[in-house]
This record gives sequence, structure tokens and C-alpha cells, in this order.
Amino acid sequence: MTDPHQPDDDDRDSRAMRDLVKRSLSGDAGEGDAPDLVRGVQRRLRKRSRGKFFADGWSTAQNRTSYVLVALVTLLLVALAYFSLGPMDVR
Amino acid sequence: MLPDDTDARLVERLVARDERAFTTLVRTYERRVFALLLRMIGNRAEAEDLAQEVFVQVFKAIGSFRGESKLSTWIYRIAINLCKNRSKYLRVRHSGQEEQLEALQERAPLGDAKGANVANVERPDEMMAGKQVERIVQTAILELEPTFRECLVLRDVEDLSYEEIGAITGLPEGTVKSRIHRARAQLKELVESALGEKIA
Repeated sequence: MTDPHQPDDDDRDSRAMRDLVKRSLSGDAGEGDAPDLVRGVQRRLRKRSRGKFFADGWSTAQNRTSYVLVALVTLLLVALAYFSLGPMDVR
Repeated sequence: MLPDDTDARLVERLVARDERAFTTLVRTYERRVFALLLRMIGNRAEAEDLAQEVFVQVFKAIGSFRGESKLSTWIYRIAINLCKNRSKYLRVRHSGQEEQLEALQERAPLGDAKGANVANVERPDEMMAGKQVERIVQTAILELEPTFRECLVLRDVEDLSYEEIGAITGLPEGTVKSRIHRARAQLKELVESALGEKIA
């Protein structure tokens, strides 16, 4: 069903309609009011994969702060344990 | 939108079932996919549900992505296909769009609709008229034949090239151009009919 004239956006009518469509649709799904889809998608995948994917807090965490925090606390505990128990001279 | 080399790295991680990579993908494309679906289907709850389904399908089918098109084009193609199926389902259930153009009969003449055309609106009544025209256009777009609507939205709202639209819809470029042309003509008729006057 190809139009023999192969119209493009250059004619005046097309440009006017294009501008009108653009203006009319630019505000109805603005960036600000788009929903957060991540949790919903993760939930669906978890359910459909029967827990194979996105099953724990690590994979569903929204940022990496928790990783860094746990890593630092672990390092601190290891260091504390080392300095309190390690350097003792038993001789 | 991610550059191509970033896309390639992301796809590698996705194929390896990296859950964090998938979360990044959703974050990157969620707004555009949701906006596209909302414009296509006209119902926020349906668009949100469908957008989530798009990403579930992306997760399931990423292994079949060959990199012959851009990742965004491939995601859009999934979105458009799911949208077509959902539209059919909704039509069968008679629960598609609820608002009719007739509901907008109490509108101001197009000549007053300066708010729709200029950036600086000085009078609230002009702004209201502009908003009404926008609403009429939004409703009229939902009245278009779905095959025309998808080409029009991808071209005029998403600013995609004819080639990209062809890759998404699976249509030859000439047919894409033709459908966009016909969609604009149909839309013009619908808007003029709702307004009761010609669009200049």
C-alpha cells in the first residue's frame, strides 16, 4: 500500500500537522510523571522465574550504597579483630 | 539513549543474565517506552502494565538479539507488537478508550487557541483554548487506525527516521511514509470535524 508520491515532511500541511501532534503529545507523558517500572518488572521476573531471578535484596537494591557500606563495615571488623587478637606475642 | 558501544556491553551483560545490567536497561528506557505506549494506547494504567511486560519480554528474549538493529529499535519493536496485541484484546473487551470526541463539544474556536501555538501565553482563556485543542488532538490520535497511529507517533513524537520506523514495524520505507501521510490526513479531518472549522 505504498503511496506513489512518497510524501515526506517537507510540505506545509505535513509540517503544520507534525508541529500540532508534537505539541499536543509532548506534555501528556512528561519525564516527570513517568512511573517507576523497575520494581514491578523485577517482581514479575521473580514470580515467573519461580525465584531464580531478582530473588534477594542484592539484586533488587536500587543503588550500590549498601554494597559499599557492608564492605566497609566488614573490613573494619576484620581490622579490629586483627589488631585485637593478631599482634599478641605468645613467647 | 545509550551509544552503540555501551549498548553492546550492556547486551553482553544481559545475555549473561546480569540482573544489575537489566535494572540499568529498565532505568534507561522506561520513560521512553512508557511514553510511547501511553501515546499508543491512551490509558495510563494499561501503558504502565504493558511497559512492564515489554521489559519482561526483553529479559526473556535478549539472547535472540543479534545486534542487527539498535537495541532501542529492538525494544520499540517489542513494545509495538505487545501494544498491537493488547489493543486487539481491549477492543474485543470494549474497554478501550472511553472518551469520545463528542465530549469536547464545549470548546473554544481554534482561532482562540493561541496557547497551543506560541510559547508565551498571556491570557488564561487563550491557554485554556490551547489546552482544549491539545486534548482534541490527543483524543483524535486514539481514533486513528492503529497501523497509522504507530507510524505517526514514532515519526512525529519519537522523532525516529523512516528507516528506524521501518525496522520497528517491519514495513518498507515507502509504506511508512505513506502511512504517516495518511495518518496526518486522517488526523486533520478528525480534528477539524471536532473543532467545526478548518486548521489553517
